[in-house]
Amino acid sequence: MSAIKLKNFYWSVALVSLVLGLILALLYRNNMDIQQDEAIRRTNELADQVEQMKKEHDVLQGQLNRMLLELEDLSTGTHANQIKEEMEQVKIFAGMTKLTGSGVEVTLKDSNISKDYTENPNLYIVHDEDILRVVNELKAAGAEAIAVNEQRLITTTGIRCSGSTIKINKKDLVPPFVITAIGNPETLEGALKMRGGVIDHLQFFGIQVSVKKVEKLEIPAYSGGIKSNYMMDPEA
Amino acid sequence: MMLGIHYHTTSADNVVSLDREQELALEKKVLVEDLYGLQKEISELSVKLEKLGLGEKEAAEALARELAKIKRFAGLSAVSGPGVEVVVQGQPGDDGSGTVQASKVLDEHLMKMLNELFSAGSEAVAINGQRITAVSEVRLAGNHINVNGTPLEPPYQILAIGNASDLKNRLELRGGLVEYLLSEYGISVETREKDKVVIPAFKGELYFEYAEPVKEI
Repeated sequence: MSAIKLKNFYWSVALVSLVLGLILALLYRNNMDIQQDEAIRRTNELADQVEQMKKEHDVLQGQLNRMLLELEDLSTGTHANQIKEEMEQVKIFAGMTKLTGSGVEVTLKDSNISKDYTENPNLYIVHDEDILRVVNELKAAGAEAIAVNEQRLITTTGIRCSGSTIKINKKDLVPPFVITAIGNPETLEGALKMRGGVIDHLQFFGIQVSVKKVEKLEIPAYSGGIKSNYMMDPEA
Repeated sequence: MMLGIHYHTTSADNVVSLDREQELALEKKVLVEDLYGLQKEISELSVKLEKLGLGEKEAAEALARELAKIKRFAGLSAVSGPGVEVVVQGQPGDDGSGTVQASKVLDEHLMKMLNELFSAGSEAVAINGQRITAVSEVRLAGNHINVNGTPLEPPYQILAIGNASDLKNRLELRGGLVEYLLSEYGISVETREKDKVVIPAFKGELYFEYAEPVKEI
């Protein structure tokens, strides 16, 4: 074969490969689109199911709570009365009772500083960590009960970013985040506003924070279940 | 190659929706268990309620069992179960100046660790014998980190009850908390799965000076 023929041959192989590659790539993309639609459909279906089950959960939980109260009402006698007395204190501590009292209301909003494109915009939105810090400070200052956007914080509450929302007690919360705490309003406010404290830290990143002392606020009861799958009485 | 890059960028959305799907599937799994548990509780309680007519003793017993359950849940009694033991401590390391200095565990490291364990489904958690409750703080005070107003000494040992492998996996996730604490702060975290851990009760007093229950009508 002459050199020119060989060169032509190479060129045509290259051309055919290129065209073939393009066709394959297009086919592949098309296929990906179909797969993606399918995934979205499945996700939406799942989301509907989860929503439905959450509603059912709330209904059953309400029923259970009413039955518990009924049990308390029906139980009489000195022994039962002792238990009921302890139960009242324990339920307050467990977060199962709606409470009222003095305290503070803290509002956290994303930064309104115009964002510079070279900077990480992530720094200027409210994160799980920011709420965690405020809540921890309130606890250290003696808060007796705390809620975030009406979700009562209980023993096992985790605070977690999930996409653009924050998840607390399985509920998705969106900004602004309003943290309410019952306790001594002066002490709670003072702890947050301490120099170099949590508010200084948040404001450094432009998070909009406001703290308001409140003479009387209400904190809702935890509305979820208290069933446990793993822990038991160590004596049992 | 260009096509390859193009394909890569468009597929990023798909990855996100896959994550969302997995998250929802997990949520559904938890809800199915919860619903089953609730139905069981309701049927058990209705049996108890029916028995109430039988006598004071049975009623008081049923009530006492409810109280015990709420106390375990709130951290007011000791509990045991499977879970993890997590040891968090500073490590000697070069701070860049050539001198070897131990890194220090800060309150916020422990706070994040506890939060992560609860987010991953822990039912009870204690650190150096202090049960974590709804009002437990993790805060630097002087030279020590205080929890429930009690100063802790390093190393910090955290016990958590829950699904042991779920808890361990969450902490050790790629780009997760353990990796973050090590790479950013030189903090070492060792997690061991345990068949049984025992977690003590909250030792503080139940005392409410400002909060009052709202009687619902």
